Amino acid sequence: MAPAATDTNWSVNYDVLRRENLFRNPPEDHTAYPSLAAAIKPHVDSFNALFEQGGIIEAGLKDIGTRTFLDDAAETPQQKQERIAEGRKPPRKNKLHVRIKEVFLEKPAIPLTNKFTARNRNIYPSECRERHATYRGKLRAKIEYRVNNGDWAETVRELGQVPIMLRTNRCYLEKATPAELVQHKEESEELGGYFIVNGNEKLIRMLIVGRRNYPMAIVRNTFTNRGHAYSKFGIQIRSVRPDQTSQTNVLHYLNDGNVTFRFSWRKNEYIIPVMMILKALVETNDREIFEAIVGGASSEGIHNTFVTDRVELLLRTYKAYRLHSRSECRSFIGEKFKPVLGVPMDVSNEEAGTEFLRRVVLPHLGNCNVTETQDYDKFKMLIFMIRKLYALVAGDCASDNPDAVSNQEILLGGFLYGMLLKERLDEWVRSLGPILRDWSTRNHGARFTDPAFERDFLGKIVKRTNENIGGAMEYFLSTGNLVSPTGLDLQQTSGYTVMAEKINFYRFISHFRMIHRGSFFAQLKTTTVRKLLPESWGFLCPVHTPDGSPCGLLNHLAHKCYVATSDVRVPQLPKLLVQLGVLNESSVSLDESVSVQLDGRIIGYCSPKQARVIAGTLRHWKVSGTHDIPVELEIGYVPNSNGGQYPGVYLFSQAARMFRPVKYLPLDKLDYVGPFEQPFMEIACLPGDLIKGVSTHIEYTPTNILSIVANMTPFSDYNQSPRNMYQCQMSKQTMGTPGTAINYRTDNKLYRLQTGQTPIVRPPLYNAYGLDNFPNGTNAVVAIISYTGYDMDDAMIINKSSHERGFGYGTIYKTKVHALDDKDSRRTKARHAITKLFGFAPGSEIKAEWRNTLDEDGMPFIGAQVKEGSLVAAYHTVRYDAASDSYVNVDGRTQFLKYKDTEEGYIDSIRIMGSETGTEPCQSLSVKYRVPRKPIIGDKFSSRHGQKGVCSQLWPAVDMPFSESGIQPDLIINPHAFPSRMTIAQMVESMAGKAGALHGHPQDCTPFQFSEENTATDYFGEQLRAAGYNYFGNEPLYSGITGKEFAADIFIGVVHYQRLRHMVNDKFQVRTTGPVNNLTGQPVKGRAKGGGIRVGEMERDSLIAHGAAFLLQDRLMNCSDSQRAWICKSCGSFLSTQVAVSSTGSGKARLAAKANAHADHVGGPSGAPSIVRCRRCAREAVFEDSRAVVWEDGEGKRFVGGDDVTVVAVPGVLRYLDVELAAMGIRMKFRVDN
Amino acid sequence: MSREAYQVPSLGGGNAFSNDNLGASSLDGPLVAYLCGECNARVSLKRGDQIRCKECGHRVLYKERTKRMVQFEAR
Repeated sequence: MAPAATDTNWSVNYDVLRRENLFRNPPEDHTAYPSLAAAIKPHVDSFNALFEQGGIIEAGLKDIGTRTFLDDAAETPQQKQERIAEGRKPPRKNKLHVRIKEVFLEKPAIPLTNKFTARNRNIYPSECRERHATYRGKLRAKIEYRVNNGDWAETVRELGQVPIMLRTNRCYLEKATPAELVQHKEESEELGGYFIVNGNEKLIRMLIVGRRNYPMAIVRNTFTNRGHAYSKFGIQIRSVRPDQTSQTNVLHYLNDGNVTFRFSWRKNEYIIPVMMILKALVETNDREIFEAIVGGASSEGIHNTFVTDRVELLLRTYKAYRLHSRSECRSFIGEKFKPVLGVPMDVSNEEAGTEFLRRVVLPHLGNCNVTETQDYDKFKMLIFMIRKLYALVAGDCASDNPDAVSNQEILLGGFLYGMLLKERLDEWVRSLGPILRDWSTRNHGARFTDPAFERDFLGKIVKRTNENIGGAMEYFLSTGNLVSPTGLDLQQTSGYTVMAEKINFYRFISHFRMIHRGSFFAQLKTTTVRKLLPESWGFLCPVHTPDGSPCGLLNHLAHKCYVATSDVRVPQLPKLLVQLGVLNESSVSLDESVSVQLDGRIIGYCSPKQARVIAGTLRHWKVSGTHDIPVELEIGYVPNSNGGQYPGVYLFSQAARMFRPVKYLPLDKLDYVGPFEQPFMEIACLPGDLIKGVSTHIEYTPTNILSIVANMTPFSDYNQSPRNMYQCQMSKQTMGTPGTAINYRTDNKLYRLQTGQTPIVRPPLYNAYGLDNFPNGTNAVVAIISYTGYDMDDAMIINKSSHERGFGYGTIYKTKVHALDDKDSRRTKARHAITKLFGFAPGSEIKAEWRNTLDEDGMPFIGAQVKEGSLVAAYHTVRYDAASDSYVNVDGRTQFLKYKDTEEGYIDSIRIMGSETGTEPCQSLSVKYRVPRKPIIGDKFSSRHGQKGVCSQLWPAVDMPFSESGIQPDLIINPHAFPSRMTIAQMVESMAGKAGALHGHPQDCTPFQFSEENTATDYFGEQLRAAGYNYFGNEPLYSGITGKEFAADIFIGVVHYQRLRHMVNDKFQVRTTGPVNNLTGQPVKGRAKGGGIRVGEMERDSLIAHGAAFLLQDRLMNCSDSQRAWICKSCGSFLSTQVAVSSTGSGKARLAAKANAHADHVGGPSGAPSIVRCRRCAREAVFEDSRAVVWEDGEGKRFVGGDDVTVVAVPGVLRYLDVELAAMGIRMKFRVDN
Repeated sequence: MSREAYQVPSLGGGNAFSNDNLGASSLDGPLVAYLCGECNARVSLKRGDQIRCKECGHRVLYKERTKRMVQFEAR
């Protein structure tokens, strides 16, 4: 009998045995936590969409198409003149067509050159982590080429190794079960969705972009800068091609009523009169265009003089171009844009114009092999946009808010990756051009038809191109910088990738739910983009955003918000709509006709009344599942209103949309709603919100609007809202359990809590997301009392006994790569290039002290304790000896690598990393250090309610207060933490935790479950009472010192506490002396360098105000750059003093003096028996001068006088300033008294 | 002799961790066993050897935990 399928339903229960069983026997069918996998699905699926059959890359290759290169007959101007004079035709140019037929991405494997591995050539992700390598597969492209009309020749090129996202269809772990994952050294709940680049886990974060294929009405003042007569009105559409690349088209309204079409192409902006595009798209005439925009002669639109006037002007002004037919317009456009588009110069202008329309004008309506119908679609869409523009200008409709989620979609990591890959492929083919030309000139004007060409094309021409596309992709992932000639229609060039830090599991999972608005908006001074808008309801979590600079820009998806990663199939929809009464005729009057669009294609028009019916019918059909309409379809019905959003029915079926589940009331079934339709729908939140005859939907549960992390805050509806935000922050900085495969991880820094517990108070979602696999804190008995005085100001006291039993005990794992090579050690090297090897120099003496931490092989012992300066590896220099095929050490000297951190640790594990070729000796070690971190005074802790505090004392257990049942608190926090912060939920949690601990059952803390009538305090109070405790959670407590009962009863309960990763050991900074700046002599800054903390101006001010002169003197002088300097009292200069030698001195003394003078003549009176004189105040000695008063400088010149010098203590920079000023010809004069 | 430097008398003499004749034996250095990250086989390598498992060709090797007594001062 096959074992029963793994249960995936979870409740709030502890399920200890069930979880234990899951750990011991990882399921062999599927994961027990499907919601966790669903959370990262958008990442994985968007990557899967790239390489599947008919996937994004395939669509991209179609868009790239065939590139044509011409060979230029080498002809000097002179020859050309001759030829023209003789009337000969120019020599025919040969054409080379190149196209990419197919792109393959292989799964990661070791190269074929490695003959040592026979069994399993696969490279699994864990190996890449351990080897600090990149998880990547070989990219190959099949290219086809032909010369003129010859046969297509075909070849496959290797394009480097491309990083691969984990658990996608190019990864070995795609369909791995938990049991297999564990076998491959992964977490049993490994989710994938990220890349491994140089051993680091990187992910492409989701980015918000404008909604695709929807013309947005924009009012932007900067539009007026486009040129003369430009107004602030525009209609913008982000048109997305099948390969997910986009092209933004904008219609601008000019103050005179004209309309222009703007687009940007390869980072340059171009503007064309819209009429030219209309006429180029279809064979039409002015009357048709007029009626298309305004409406037929019998329609109401004809009375809208605002529009008729402007359309007339539009048509009239275009007359100036004298372009009438479609081909004329296309030729005109083609002629202008030929060089920009990069089409070969021999195509006709009209063809170039057609190409232009294909690539630039609304490509979502026809991107390859554009048919007449598709051109007509584009025409209709442009007409619609013109109408909307005029309505916007006339004030008939409002502008769309580009900051609202309803007008946004998500740029998924996989799609961005595909866009980049497509562009690299395009650039690669494009780069053949210059190389072909170069080849031609080098070979004296060789032609494509020459036999040499066939020989050289692959070996010499294609080979010269930069085929390392894999390297470019790896660069993108490791830096997050977008290197792109087109800019990919995106607003930023960097910050696309982030490291998926595994500080704890909340942090890790949050990375995949994170949505960034774009770094462009971070610099914006206005805060409108950061606002929390009602449109976001249910899509973006209102709580989970950081405070500070990224606030509101970095959002997180609500936990039930899904992102579409593929288009849903709706081929029958247009027909259905026609059956529902959608017509072709339209008018500009919105009361008469509104548009019905599907993914930015105009299906037709209908009356506003009909639109309502159509939307309602479609919704009913899609929820009931009839008529083959997928339930994910978004039916955006915008009703007619008085100056509101431009009405119509907008259907969206494509990828990158957000959608979320709600219940459709008429059928009591699941419906998905999208952000565009939601503002116009009636979705009740709770049953009490239902309005009869109005409400159509109801939320499944109100907690659906919260993110995964925000959902974990207990009773968050009882907290003041910012506290919930802080908790979302802090849960991500908690020292928790990053994973269960810690042994196979090589993160730079890994935090681990040794004594994690499952919280007593938790929502059922806690189990659904499998968070017990990654415990994040400890349940603590918390008394809220002001007890010792050590709990002021958010300090907290930890019971020393709890501390000793392991409360909050943690460990940090640091992995350091010790490489023998300073440069890029990852590069494979030739055998003879190796100059160093690990180990003691052979034959040399090995000191016993070296062997304290080092083993025979020169690597440290596992388990050895290392302190600052301990040896962690021995190495010696070698030379490759080809004769004996070995490495010879000549000097017999052993050198060492040292442990540099100040904190002592232990060697946890050592990895010796070989290369993929399997032929290299050890050149780098990956050493994992374990640094134990027990909680000490100054470490940071927090409850789950944004109540952080610092440990201020480890209080002896005997002195702790105790209750009547003998319970001592593990923690004491101050009651003052509550009144201003109003974290009532923490008190509720305290009661719930206490009751749960007493009764031995978990407590459900889902927010919004209690009400005024049915209060939480009553619910848990009754439970406490049932256990024999005080209903309010108070208890009489006895002082641990006097043994007397406190006058007041103390609120004591069980709260889940987190230890935060901010620890004093990483932060403390103290110095008296230490490294100083070379130039100024002042202390350097920076903790890492052993620098000091600056006593700045404001600190100085306060010290002055306090009259703390000695302290000031100490900080600013003695501990800084105080120095004793000679100064001349009479001329007041530092610089003119110099060391003198008495004239009686011998040559030796003179030399000494000279050296002294050069060193720095601040030796002072205490130094050498030298005297200091002011050279400036002295005069040259004459013969009559007494020998007693004459002094001599280092060069033997003799002087008299200048002896009014003294030593003063001054800041070093003062003298430096003097020198600098002197260099500018400014003299500083100091008046020296005393 | 300090406590840290104390060594457990080695069993069977010639194992790879014996501390006698500190590596000065041969020019090629001592033979030290490592564990394969894939098949957990013991792989003996000496100085300058190519890094891979002799059994399965895997490219990550772990260093074995020392057989020396590891003792610290408890504080």
